[in-house]
Amino acid sequence: MSTAVAEKVDDDLWSAIGDPTRRRMLDLLLVEGEGTATTLSRHLPVTRQAVTKHLGVLDRAGLVRATPAGREKRYRVDEAQLARAVAQLASVGSAWDARLQRIKRIAEAIQRTGQD
Amino acid sequence: MEFGTIEREVYIEASPETVFEVVSSPGHLRQWWPDDARYEPVPGSTGEIVFGDPGAGGAVVAFTVVDARPPRTFSFRWTHPAGEAAAEGNSLLVTFDLTPSGGGTLLKMTETGFREMGWEAAVLEQQYQEHVTGWDFYLARLAPYVATLRVRS
Repeated sequence: MSTAVAEKVDDDLWSAIGDPTRRRMLDLLLVEGEGTATTLSRHLPVTRQAVTKHLGVLDRAGLVRATPAGREKRYRVDEAQLARAVAQLASVGSAWDARLQRIKRIAEAIQRTGQD
Repeated sequence: MEFGTIEREVYIEASPETVFEVVSSPGHLRQWWPDDARYEPVPGSTGEIVFGDPGAGGAVVAFTVVDARPPRTFSFRWTHPAGEAAAEGNSLLVTFDLTPSGGGTLLKMTETGFREMGWEAAVLEQQYQEHVTGWDFYLARLAPYVATLRVRS
């Protein structure tokens, strides 16, 4: 079951960070410390509405946190979740390596049991 | 650069017959990949693999056996749209080739179809990087940042 959870989280993170605009937004938030849809859209070739949508995706993945700021929301990167994301994405990078290691472990265990 | 194929090799201290069973049978697949697997390990069999609880955010993914020649080759397509026949262009093809080696088995895995899926180039590249090398662009920018987190905590 833990595998299932990991796959699911990976999917969410993949969706959140798999988009170049959202990666650029995370970079901007890291550099600036915080930002709103308006301030971020000044640095990006997309509309404020589009930025708002992207921020929603990042928010749902837990990568940013919002606080009310007048009519808008002010966003910061969630450092802990980002660190987890980095660790996870690195591990997702070797998804097949991990599967093959499990295949190896299972097959070798069966072989040993058969020989005992 | 070509983003078409992933290749991996691993040496396993077990007979090709045992390794074939592990890479092909639904019961074993559940142990190393999805939470559930429903298909017959024979060519042409269609089924599905399940991640998590489909009723609570999990995923059901189409799975079609392409080739099964014990104890040498097992291949399947996955990720095609439900109800569609698996074919080049709508799915990823995974092939396991087993070669006797020493007292064990050399298992070679290839996954192809990233290009043929017809996804937009950026997604294609990201997906490929994710599978193969990790997140080069993103990690390069984040590594120093994460290092600062570690220092602070």
